[in-house]
Amino acid sequence: MSTTGPVNPLAAGRPPGRGPGEPPGPAELRRAGGSLAVLTREAVRAPFTVRTLRELLFCVIEVPLGLCVLAFPIALAGLPLAVSLTTRGAIPPAGSSRTHPAGLIPVLGGVVLFALLALLLLTPRIARGLGAAHRRLAARLLGERIAGPPPIRRGRGAVGWLGATVRDGAGWRAAAYLLVKLPVTVGELYAAFFAAAGLANLTYPFWWPLFRNHPPGVRLHPVSALTPFGALHVATFPGTFAAFAAGAAMLLAAPWAARAVTSADRWLMRGLLGPGRLAQRVADLEQTRAIAVEDSAALLRRLERDLHDGAQIRLATIAMNLGMAREKLGETADPAVRELVDTAHQGAKDALIDLRNLARGIHPAALDSGLADALATLAASSAIPVELTVAVPQRPAPAIETIAYFCAAELLANAAKHSYANKVVIEVAGRGRTLMLRVSDDGRGGADPARGSGLSGLMQRVRTVDGDLEIASPPGGPTQVTVQLPRRA
Amino acid sequence: MTEPRSLRVVIAEDATLFREGLVRLLADRGHRVVAAVADADALLAAVAEHDPDVAVADIRMPPTHTDEGLRAAIELRRDHPRTGVLMLSQYIETKYAARLLAGNAAGVGYLLKDRVADVAEFADALARVAGGGTALDPEVVSQLVRASSHADGLAALTPRERDVLALMAEGRSNAGIAAALVVSAGVVEKHVASILIKLGLPPSEADNRRVLAVLRYLGS
Repeated sequence: MSTTGPVNPLAAGRPPGRGPGEPPGPAELRRAGGSLAVLTREAVRAPFTVRTLRELLFCVIEVPLGLCVLAFPIALAGLPLAVSLTTRGAIPPAGSSRTHPAGLIPVLGGVVLFALLALLLLTPRIARGLGAAHRRLAARLLGERIAGPPPIRRGRGAVGWLGATVRDGAGWRAAAYLLVKLPVTVGELYAAFFAAAGLANLTYPFWWPLFRNHPPGVRLHPVSALTPFGALHVATFPGTFAAFAAGAAMLLAAPWAARAVTSADRWLMRGLLGPGRLAQRVADLEQTRAIAVEDSAALLRRLERDLHDGAQIRLATIAMNLGMAREKLGETADPAVRELVDTAHQGAKDALIDLRNLARGIHPAALDSGLADALATLAASSAIPVELTVAVPQRPAPAIETIAYFCAAELLANAAKHSYANKVVIEVAGRGRTLMLRVSDDGRGGADPARGSGLSGLMQRVRTVDGDLEIASPPGGPTQVTVQLPRRA
Repeated sequence: MTEPRSLRVVIAEDATLFREGLVRLLADRGHRVVAAVADADALLAAVAEHDPDVAVADIRMPPTHTDEGLRAAIELRRDHPRTGVLMLSQYIETKYAARLLAGNAAGVGYLLKDRVADVAEFADALARVAGGGTALDPEVVSQLVRASSHADGLAALTPRERDVLALMAEGRSNAGIAAALVVSAGVVEKHVASILIKLGLPPSEADNRRVLAVLRYLGS
């Protein structure tokens, strides 16, 4: 369903600014103190403002678009009718085999039933398409920008696809919009009629003398002028002034009619074609959660950087200075002083090691150059031999890399502590929109997230980004833990 | 131990405190610091200008604070092979060590910043690197040994031989190993010969070449 076709040229052929710009809003009108002159001026100008013309254009296009939905019941009713007609025509003349039509009817009935069912099941998707067309039209002509509903869930296979379609709440809401909107469509038709017929009625006095200048005595049929209260029959020249007056009234009323129906339509669209309150809430929560996850990863990175540039470098300098002092003291110094300096020197070096381990636990610096570099050091520092393969063609978000790294570190530590394994294999692979981390060992198995807090903690961490952690660890081994993470938080 | 000689040194380190400490330490030892700079580009420029015996550089420097020092070092190895490069860092990263040692480990060093605190050993390591030798942090060596695919060959060594192998891989001479283990040079020589036979490496008199053979063995 494409709306860009009809919408584009219309938007391009936007009515030239005949009116004096946008009319003032209701608040401004009220502020005008109800001055009759102002109100009158606005009422007269209203039909010629850009806004009115856009609203009227919207009404004109919405009429066929809104009536599209009627094709649906016609199809529902028409299909069996067409088939039954075909079947009747297909009954062969008497004398031929009688089993033929008897066999044909159930088959055709089945086909009809299937087609009807398919049509019904496809309703959400069709309604989504039509809803999108309405939304785009409103955005173009009314400036009413409504966010679309979240995309329909992807199902696996035909059954999954159908299931996702039938359960698509947004699709059904769009279908409800199309139905509820029908009376509004009639209103839109009316508004368009007010403008078009009003304009036509205004012209009566001008062309009457040109075409109705027959000699007196000639009886002519009266000409009808369309008004909302029925046709006005004009038989004489003075009568055309009545048509003119009716036209003027209709033209003056048209903007307000258009505004009323478009307002109603906007209200319906906002309620039924938008993302829905729950979906909007979910989208908001997902977004804020992603920001929170990324923020916390960035915070830890900054903390490590501050340690590196601050405390670590100061301590390294102190250790260096104490080393120099120790050398300068030489053998001749007071043994008590020597011992104190030695102790301070050793203490500074020990503190450096502690601080380094702490900083690495906060955020491994090598992670800034990628998972492969950081995991290589992790693997090389492991007590159990590790076979590492990393194939990540596109780098995931920093927060995801951090989670993947700490998952690998925790799983490796678990394997070293509990598995009695001889070898651990770590695989990292980027596949489409996910990052897969798999840690397997040839140990004795029996890893259970219910018993150890490590695995359940990992699960929680992975779930903060909608990731997934799967454990296969039968008693006796081997253990295989697979973590799936999205590439973006 | 290497005989002390005055070296011309370029230092690249973005932390002022540590940089100034290093300058003082080296001057104390009779070396001449011809330039002390704070980032990788300045390091390249200073080496091109002064053609020093050795450059001491931090790995993590501005602007990205990741591995610009390392990249500069690799460039220096290519363009100024006569200048030794000693990397200092707060962390030992396996991949960084591999990139630094790729091709040729002669005149290369990679130490934790902590090692500077043991002044005499640091000075010795600097002199080795300046003289075309190697100086690897014990942590680099232990990572290389763990990651080595020759687990079977290494398992054939006695614990003492494994200690000697680790010290060899750090780039130490026989005398240096003897001092570290507090044994005589003759004992070390016997261990070294036994290690080379067990690992199937060619015997060699020159310390440097032996170190390279051991590193190649561990890295392959």
